[in-house]
Amino acid sequence: MTLAVLLPFVMAALCAWLARPLGRRTGYLAALAFVPALLLAAPLAGSSVEPGGTALSQNTPWVPELGLNLVFRGDGFSLLFAVLIGVIGTLASLYSVAYLSPRERFGRFYPYLLLFGGSMLGLVLSDNLIALFGFWEMTSVTSFLLIGLWHTRSEARDGAVKAFLISALGGLGLLAAVALLSMAGGSTLLSELDLEAVRASPLFVPALLLTLLAAFTKSAQLPFHLWLPTAMEAPTPVSAFLHSATMVKAGVVLVAKFGLIFGSSALWAGIIVPLGLATLFWGSWRALKQTDLKALLAYSTVSQLGLLMALYGLADAEGRFAATTHLLNHAAFKAALFFVVGIIDHETGTREVSQLSGLRRKLPITFVLAGLAALSMAGLPPLGGFISKELFYEAMLHAGPAFIAVAVLGSALTLAYSARLVAIFFGSYRAPVDDGGRSLKADVHEAGPGLLLPPALLAAGALLFGVWPQSTEWLTRRVGAALDFAGYGGHLYLWHGVTPALIATLITWALGAALVWQSARVYALQLRLELPISSNGGYRALLRGLGTFASALITRTQGLALPDQLRITLAAAGLMGGYAVWRAPQVFQPFGTLPPSVLPIAVLLVAGAMGVLLSRNRLTAVILTGLTGFGSAAAFLAMRAPDLALTQLLIEAVTVILFLLVFQYLPGIRDLPRRRSRYAVDVVLAGASGVGATLLILASLRFLAPPISPYYLENAYKGGGGKNVVNVILVDFRGFDTLGEIVVVAVVALAVGSLVRLGRRGRAPTETDTDRQSPNRTIPVRPINNQPSPTDQEVRR
Amino acid sequence: MESLFAVLVGVLVAAGVFLLLSRTIIRVVLGLAFIAYGVNLAILTVAGLRDEAPPLLTLAGPYVDPLPQALVLTAIVIGFGTTALLLTVALRAYQVAGHDDVEAFGDGLARNPDAPDGQYADPEHLSPDQPEADHEARS
Repeated sequence: MTLAVLLPFVMAALCAWLARPLGRRTGYLAALAFVPALLLAAPLAGSSVEPGGTALSQNTPWVPELGLNLVFRGDGFSLLFAVLIGVIGTLASLYSVAYLSPRERFGRFYPYLLLFGGSMLGLVLSDNLIALFGFWEMTSVTSFLLIGLWHTRSEARDGAVKAFLISALGGLGLLAAVALLSMAGGSTLLSELDLEAVRASPLFVPALLLTLLAAFTKSAQLPFHLWLPTAMEAPTPVSAFLHSATMVKAGVVLVAKFGLIFGSSALWAGIIVPLGLATLFWGSWRALKQTDLKALLAYSTVSQLGLLMALYGLADAEGRFAATTHLLNHAAFKAALFFVVGIIDHETGTREVSQLSGLRRKLPITFVLAGLAALSMAGLPPLGGFISKELFYEAMLHAGPAFIAVAVLGSALTLAYSARLVAIFFGSYRAPVDDGGRSLKADVHEAGPGLLLPPALLAAGALLFGVWPQSTEWLTRRVGAALDFAGYGGHLYLWHGVTPALIATLITWALGAALVWQSARVYALQLRLELPISSNGGYRALLRGLGTFASALITRTQGLALPDQLRITLAAAGLMGGYAVWRAPQVFQPFGTLPPSVLPIAVLLVAGAMGVLLSRNRLTAVILTGLTGFGSAAAFLAMRAPDLALTQLLIEAVTVILFLLVFQYLPGIRDLPRRRSRYAVDVVLAGASGVGATLLILASLRFLAPPISPYYLENAYKGGGGKNVVNVILVDFRGFDTLGEIVVVAVVALAVGSLVRLGRRGRAPTETDTDRQSPNRTIPVRPINNQPSPTDQEVRR
Repeated sequence: MESLFAVLVGVLVAAGVFLLLSRTIIRVVLGLAFIAYGVNLAILTVAGLRDEAPPLLTLAGPYVDPLPQALVLTAIVIGFGTTALLLTVALRAYQVAGHDDVEAFGDGLARNPDAPDGQYADPEHLSPDQPEADHEARS
């Protein structure tokens, strides 16, 4: 299993490397990466996933202390899904070989596709919650890369960004959810969570809601469905792989797996089932309106995902049984349809419904495949889709009358848009033309075997699932132990007698037929009912609003004069720091007896500070600062730090000299008085900072851990050969740190030198030049002729 | 002893912050210097002030904690570097702008937030389109 997950990542690098010599044949190499995933079919078929059997588990330690290990656990559901990913991934890779233009950048396409495949396999197999989140995010990122593959199109960029923003939002939700779950359940392993503790924990409801946010964003449920249609900018093989069969089902997988944890709560089904059904209805309603075949399939996927969500969300054995069956069927027929639409696009040059008719004369094999897959999608016998729809109706009948009504309506719409899709094959053939009336393709003919084989296999699967229900049931039963419906006694039949579900089906067919019969009127009605608000418009408005808000916020807080910015920053920091200090335990020891030497030092320090505050001109201020500096050096002496005192004295002297040097260039202008309106604010801020610093020190006087200093005292002479421990620490134990410090000082010296040299060459402005301007007006910058001209240098030589 | 130094650090930091917020660039630099004094003393104070020997092995122990001293020694030197750089930048700014009023150094960010100046994110105008590439295979 670990191999199945990791091999695609390795092969991705290999494909990137070999793409240039291999060209489009890289696809064959890419297909090999999914072989281990396909081989997982063996344990799936074996006895290990039966009830009572132990699930496979492989543990690769990584950071065991934090519970971060790559644990892959193969129970029936994970294995089934992994095999599904393997199958569709292989087919998509092979299909791409024939589909993509020879000029495509294969060095990007296949590595992205394999990175995605590996992430998706990791997502379904991972038992570690943190790794699960990691793989989840990786699927978001790779999806972004694949949608944006043709990044020269603005639609592709928009689609990629939109998909990423929405899935990443959900990803953050998942991160929080898994953190809460592992806190409440006492383990980072999904299979080892203490379910009782989780259900009793106060974190249960937040974790549930966050999980739902993740699942809904990833699986394009209302109101997050808008990214899936725009994701159709990706190349068609990608759409088939990511946006129909695998990635978008990640949310469904999450709901299926976590339903065993959260299903006990009424909130779980209460949110998922209505939203899922609403998505089912809305997706199919929108799909019927589309004129682009790929957009039609995209909305169809949205609606089918809603159906799966609703079934898994029921959180009972019946629902999970039905959903798993439908999951298989949907993967088969939807991926097949995407491949078929790819063929149509490839052979005719258009995907517009209005442009296409009578294709069965030109593309007979494609017609058969499309027909099979569309029948399954519409839920007509004898195909797999019919069987799983019956199960869906059964489950919804048990849920209540409103639910079954929505389900029937959605399925009727599904039937109608399936019919629209198939309609392009009937009628008389017309050559598709572009806007100017010129023919798009000179010679429309059937696609080659490379394009036909993948959808043929999938369509055969869709047919097999229907005419031989035992096969589907056997596959579904493999999941029984993992999803806890092993005891459910349902079976799959094409004909199961006259039941309420069958009656609902008949109503569906009648409705669907009526929709098809009156399709022109329905279409007109749909156009009339166009809502004034669209989710895409909402998305744009949200982004724009966010931009405006950010811009306004930055302008109000950062676009000010420097002191005002500092005031805001300090106030914010003060509020946060103040809260922390207020919460911390205070340790105030009375001054007690002080050594007499300390008092003059204190006086020196305070006198210097007060003097600077009261001083009227800069020279005084600098000299008084020096006073504080010497006080500080004296304090170091009192603190038994002779080295520090020496250094401080030296630095103090050099600093004062530096200031005086600078004053040579700054004509002695008076201090600028502070604005009156700011005076009180500054006093408060300064006072708060001081009090905060004092409290911080008082709160930090407790040792949280034993000091490490004895080590230095013991080893200074043995290891460093010096008796001055402070020096040995600096040049020996922390030598590289000191090297860095020396580099910093050297860089500063260079900067100071060059700046001073520039100043020498510049004309120092006189007092008449100093213009006092109000802030927020641009200052005219005087050009300064400071570049030594080449002739200058010549002369010097 | 620690409590006294905690109060002293508070005074130094308060003075430093007040200077940092002034309009004169020299005073801003001095403010940073004051904050640095305060922080240096704070590091030593937090480690505990005991009446023991300085960490020179030529003397008899017990010794005070040498580690914060090493840290502060680094901090003093870096603080000097910062001061020197700021001072020369202040000098340069004065020469270029003709004054040393910190409030008047505009950075061009102050603008009307509602003005459509292209400073807001619009997904439709992320970048100018490159010419449409041809991605369909022409067999």
